[in-house]
Amino acid sequence: MKKTIDIMKEKRKVPQGVKDKIKAFNKLKKKILDSLKEGEKTIPEIAKEMDDDIDAITYNLMTLLKYGFLEAGDIDDNDEYYYYRLKNKE
Amino acid sequence: MVESKEYDVLVIGGGIAGEEAALNLANIGYKVILVEKDLSIGGKMIHLSKVFPTLDCGACITTPKVSETARHPNIEIFTFSEVQDIEKHAENDFSATLIENPRYVTDDCTGCQICEEKCPVVVEDQYQWNLVGRKAVYVPFSIANPRIAVIDIENCSLCGLCEKVCPANAIDFSQVEKKSTIKIRSIIIATGFELFDPLLIPRYGYGKFKNVVTSMQMERQLVPTRPFNNVLRPMDGKMPDNIAYVLCAGSRDETVGNPICSQVCCMYSVKQAQLLMGALPMADVTIYYINIRAFGKGFCEFFQQAKGMGIEFIKGKAGLIKEKENGNLIILYEDIQQGNVKEAEHDLVVLSVGMLPNTDFTEIFKNSRVEQDLYNYVNKVDELCCPAKTNIDGVFVAGTSTGPLDIPDSILSAGAASAEAAGYLNGGVK
Repeated sequence: MKKTIDIMKEKRKVPQGVKDKIKAFNKLKKKILDSLKEGEKTIPEIAKEMDDDIDAITYNLMTLLKYGFLEAGDIDDNDEYYYYRLKNKE
Repeated sequence: MVESKEYDVLVIGGGIAGEEAALNLANIGYKVILVEKDLSIGGKMIHLSKVFPTLDCGACITTPKVSETARHPNIEIFTFSEVQDIEKHAENDFSATLIENPRYVTDDCTGCQICEEKCPVVVEDQYQWNLVGRKAVYVPFSIANPRIAVIDIENCSLCGLCEKVCPANAIDFSQVEKKSTIKIRSIIIATGFELFDPLLIPRYGYGKFKNVVTSMQMERQLVPTRPFNNVLRPMDGKMPDNIAYVLCAGSRDETVGNPICSQVCCMYSVKQAQLLMGALPMADVTIYYINIRAFGKGFCEFFQQAKGMGIEFIKGKAGLIKEKENGNLIILYEDIQQGNVKEAEHDLVVLSVGMLPNTDFTEIFKNSRVEQDLYNYVNKVDELCCPAKTNIDGVFVAGTSTGPLDIPDSILSAGAASAEAAGYLNGGVK
């Protein structure tokens, strides 16, 4: 059976901006998830390992948290930053 | 020839005022069509944490009304839809064009969000005021009504994964915009308000400094379905411990074209400050104000309660906000009581943005024009005797389309509009 997505593909092309957004998100997602494989970290600790802007890391980390890739742990000793860790999906 | 569907009343806007007006009329037997341009009814209120001065849960008050509206046999709701070309032919005789935008998802959607999980695209979530991302296929928010996904076609990568994984076979990319003509006997405009865009005050740094947020962004941080895991700074996820509110950001300010008071900013800021004291017990909260307008029942007590909780109130007008390297912010303000300029450091600044008219109503009539008042809200032509009457007989106005109002006053206004519309339908009020 023909899927309806084919009808839409005949009507429009994917804008370059959308492709760029997917690439940017996937790149940061990989970096954040790789960083957290070593153990739980705060956002500034993750940012120290990367060249990316800290606000972009925060935004993407919170999106990963929303979609269940991560979970929040305890707050640090100064009551400033939460630790984040990979979520065990099992 | 397709026959036009007929209704007694067209309610434009599905916020708290539109719902209230629709329910009042439907409950006395009138057939109502409610048209909402957004993906869900509920307006702005459905996104609020708590309401002032009672601190009742906003969603707990609004969702029963949303459900009652959605299930009422006399109300037909069209979300993600618009009306255009309204024409008055005679008394009790209007026609309009109804435009239903395609969601690319059918009503078979169960809201399971499996499609959302698989979608590879992440864009800013407008229902979290851009603090976090959402997918290109998404359920607008958890208590949306209808709770049906939508495909943001402008940001869709056309990968087709959503269609592959949907267990209800609800994805339908063949949908197109639908146009139809409706006939109605009376109209209620309840298109609500817009929030002031703080980018129009560049000296406050909104958009440039990530730790300058709007009051609506803070409101989202205070709800259980918040964008972050707690109240945090958008720049670096730090839990703030010294928060400032800048009142009258875009209200009472001729320089940004909005000279009037928005009526709700003082009290919602006092409310948020109290909620912050609960969420972040160690935090200091400072409110910079020109005047505190605590004019409603219980408002002054609510303000006094905030002072008693330790919230600091400074009578001062913020002039400039600067950012430090660590993301903290320096507010330069005029201390109105001492008559000098001071500065203070905070780690998060909330701009208490004002209300602006939503002028959509000016473009929907074909052969007539709804008059606007001096501030571009709908003009009430007989405010004392018929507070919902507009310059067009049979067209009434409810809620914040009339001017800045809080929630109880919006509901009262909707009551007036529905009563006047019922009178008009019975050959009385025009």
